[in-house]
Amino acid sequence: MTHDLTTTPLEGPAAAHPYSGAATNTRVSPPPSPSTTARRTEHIIGLLALVGTAATVWLGIWVTPPDKVQGDLVRLVYIHPGVAWVALYLAFGLAAVSTLLYLWPRTRSLFWDRLAAAAVEVGVIFNICTLVSGSIWGKPTWGVWWAWDARLTSTAVLLVLFLGYMALRRVPAEPEVRARRSAFVALFAAIDIPIIHFSVDWWNTLHQGATVLNANLSPTIHGSMAWTLLLGFVALTLVFVWMLLVRYRIGAIEDWLAANELDLALAERQAEGVAASRVASDPGPAGGSPTDRVGVA
Amino acid sequence: MRYVIAGYIFVLGLLALYAVALVWRRRRLVRAVARVTGPDVAVVVVGGNGSPGASTVAGAPVSTGATTPQAEAS
Repeated sequence: MTHDLTTTPLEGPAAAHPYSGAATNTRVSPPPSPSTTARRTEHIIGLLALVGTAATVWLGIWVTPPDKVQGDLVRLVYIHPGVAWVALYLAFGLAAVSTLLYLWPRTRSLFWDRLAAAAVEVGVIFNICTLVSGSIWGKPTWGVWWAWDARLTSTAVLLVLFLGYMALRRVPAEPEVRARRSAFVALFAAIDIPIIHFSVDWWNTLHQGATVLNANLSPTIHGSMAWTLLLGFVALTLVFVWMLLVRYRIGAIEDWLAANELDLALAERQAEGVAASRVASDPGPAGGSPTDRVGVA
Repeated sequence: MRYVIAGYIFVLGLLALYAVALVWRRRRLVRAVARVTGPDVAVVVVGGNGSPGASTVAGAPVSTGATTPQAEAS
């Protein structure tokens, strides 16, 4: 679906492109542009994400009952696991898979590198949401904002690693060099994902174990609470998909501008030159010297 | 309950801010593309029946076979 967002080469002289310019000889590849279907899909996903998130908030705060043990604090559980699921498994998992597909010679394409970069940026936002919402839940429950617990610490380490990934991508380099460097950092960071997942089993932690995806695959939550939690997962997943689509397109346009920077500047200068020579050779109905016309142009 | 409200406000607020920033960044880039591609830019707009029909943004009409970001911006 997103492959049509990448830049495509021109196909021979018949495929006249505006950026080849009738007035210039410089040929620039067409800018990336989503198809009508892609744009419509993005709008539908965005709308569903908005409605789903609003429904989760409504059910989570006003409809579901308070928990027997946690009281009202259970309402934070409707969003905290959802943002954690998106950050740790969807976003960073997708980044790891995309990175592997980039490094694999048969599937090597800057599409995968761009997808990984988009997933990491969105994942970092969700990771921050995970840490902060968990911390807000932890203060009244554990009595502290932060504990050097295995799961909390490994999640914070993952955030730092992917912030490093984003910083590395800003170092000026050729696209292939940047992609290769970033890929190795992403793979290194991705090692932390299974550590986070199994940290509650491997170490004694304050953080509770899996409630829904536990070893017995028997959710220890039920009723309206379970449905609200599920809706939160779906809504936040849709939010992630929408953000990923938009962020990918931003990356595609940025890459196009960077790749065609010189050609565009040349085309602009050539067009100016052609326009100036036309004015100079055409004195116009009012007469006057060609030099004056060039000056006006 | 104030912890719950604070948690929801932080998460939803950050996600909303990021979403707005994404849309703003994309619009800025689309405008940048429109600016650097010059005045002789043309787009092919796909009509309601799926058939392409050429229309110019500015300057001479040139059939491109592709929809440029100007169409997206509109």
